[in-house]
Amino acid sequence: MIELKNLSVTLGAAAAVRDASLSIQAGDRLGVVGESGCGKSMLALSMMGMVPDALAVSGQITLNGTAMPPRDETAWRPHRARSMAMIFQEPMAALNPLRRIGDTVMEPMRVHLGLSREDAIKRTLDLFAETGIRDPELRLRQYPHQLSGGQRQRVLIALALACDPALLIADEPTTALDANVSLRITDLLVRLSRQRNMALVLISHDLGAVARATKDILVMYGGDIVERGPTAAVLAHPAHPYTKGLLGARPRIEQAAGKRRHLPTIPGSVPGLFDLPKGCRFSGRCSVEMPHCARSKPENVNTEQGQAACHQLKEGHNGG
Amino acid sequence: MNTRYLPANLVIGAILVVLTLGVALLSVFWTPYDYTQLDIVHKFQGPSAAHWLGTDQLGRDLLSQLMAGAGNSMAVAVTAVVLGGSIGTALGLLASAYGGWVEDIVMRLSDLSFAFPALLFAIMLAAAFGPSLPNVVVAIAFINVPIFARVARASANQIWTREYVFAARAAGLGKFAISRDHILPNIAAPIIVQATIEFALAILIEAALSYLGLGAQPPSPSWGRMLSEAQTLMYLAPQLAIYPGLSIVVAVLGFGLLGDGLRDVTDPRLSRER
Repeated sequence: MIELKNLSVTLGAAAAVRDASLSIQAGDRLGVVGESGCGKSMLALSMMGMVPDALAVSGQITLNGTAMPPRDETAWRPHRARSMAMIFQEPMAALNPLRRIGDTVMEPMRVHLGLSREDAIKRTLDLFAETGIRDPELRLRQYPHQLSGGQRQRVLIALALACDPALLIADEPTTALDANVSLRITDLLVRLSRQRNMALVLISHDLGAVARATKDILVMYGGDIVERGPTAAVLAHPAHPYTKGLLGARPRIEQAAGKRRHLPTIPGSVPGLFDLPKGCRFSGRCSVEMPHCARSKPENVNTEQGQAACHQLKEGHNGG
Repeated sequence: MNTRYLPANLVIGAILVVLTLGVALLSVFWTPYDYTQLDIVHKFQGPSAAHWLGTDQLGRDLLSQLMAGAGNSMAVAVTAVVLGGSIGTALGLLASAYGGWVEDIVMRLSDLSFAFPALLFAIMLAAAFGPSLPNVVVAIAFINVPIFARVARASANQIWTREYVFAARAAGLGKFAISRDHILPNIAAPIIVQATIEFALAILIEAALSYLGLGAQPPSPSWGRMLSEAQTLMYLAPQLAIYPGLSIVVAVLGFGLLGDGLRDVTDPRLSRER
């Protein structure tokens, strides 16, 4: 359905995304995880044709068999909302404060599907019911500030579903919500994806949500896809040191309840775009680093679970 | 603003504006006398029960003339500011939406027109196309186009960076639909504030042009024209100049204060320490 091949998003010499390739088919549910600033959002934006003008895009984007120019509003616009739609991190910021919810949700279906106002209202009410919005009739006439965070995110999901997209990209949809609401939104996304055979790309740093919702996973670090494979297998037996570090850094209630202990962390933080090491992006923070890691970019190695890009794995395979 | 406290300039401005607009509106339906009606026997009268503000050199009722002048002044200002403001706002939105050379052309043209002093420009237009009220309207509207284009573009540029605009793009909306449905409502506040201030200036320009004989032609009533007619009689009957002068002051001050007050309320960053 949508395919990225050797996609790079760069700002001068700095790469926000480096050589990413992936393919998404109907019904796929793909999780993209990584710390902030790892290129997750840029990867998502390139699938919408919405990479900011300041950044350069290279590589191939193929949508339903057609090669897409990476940044051409006229080429992408007819596909948005229909081929793919997106929901955002901040449900408050993503809704126009001066427009009624109903008008916002109805707009794309009137533009793309040419529905009359009556049909659009009917469809919006159906979508509100499908996304679990209470009092749909009332919501149509309300403004964003009158809704709770969870309800707003549901409105955004309804808006994204307005034109039956084949792919829904959710960019950290639950980050601004509390844990309970966040769980329900995640489950809603999975249910919608199953019922509609709609592909879902879930970008998150919540490994729990990704484990719960997705079939496959991409781990990104510093613009590189460092590991990929079936979600359950990768999370159970991570091959890349970064994935191991991420998994180790999750808070665990059963451990915290016992004695006081520090949460394990990955030392350091993600370097700025211009300070990234040339070779393996993770060098400098890696616990099993070798001298040449910082200089040469690791290739993808097939692992038991999928693929990972790490010199250790390569050495391991070669050296036995 | 959770408190009921409103800035003084807003309150005073609003009172003066309501007063001026009320009188202007009333003059459409009713004035004490027909303002063109001559009564040469009763010229230069002081205030009396029959003529509250007295009469002028031709015995016309002063209050009736002032009221009709208010109606005239407001009509010119409203038409001109709405006309110029709409065109300017549309151009500003266009510049902001498309950027690039479209924005360059719109903004350089407006820079160019800022180089002309507004009043001189209006005089030039009136001189070129003949003195009449419609020409005054066109002149004032023309002056307002670049002012609104600037305000609209600057405000719109801010709104374009908002996430809901991004979300609208992600929903496949074009620049026109986004400008109309998302940008315009969100820049309404600064546009309205600007309109109120420009309204005050429009009243002033109309009065100035009419004073110079380039605006309202006799016998159509105008504060500016009343001033110029009273000028030769200053020593004999100063009240003939004072009343229209005061009317202009009240109207201009009212709209000016209202505009400042609205800005203080709608844009906290610009408000002065109080």
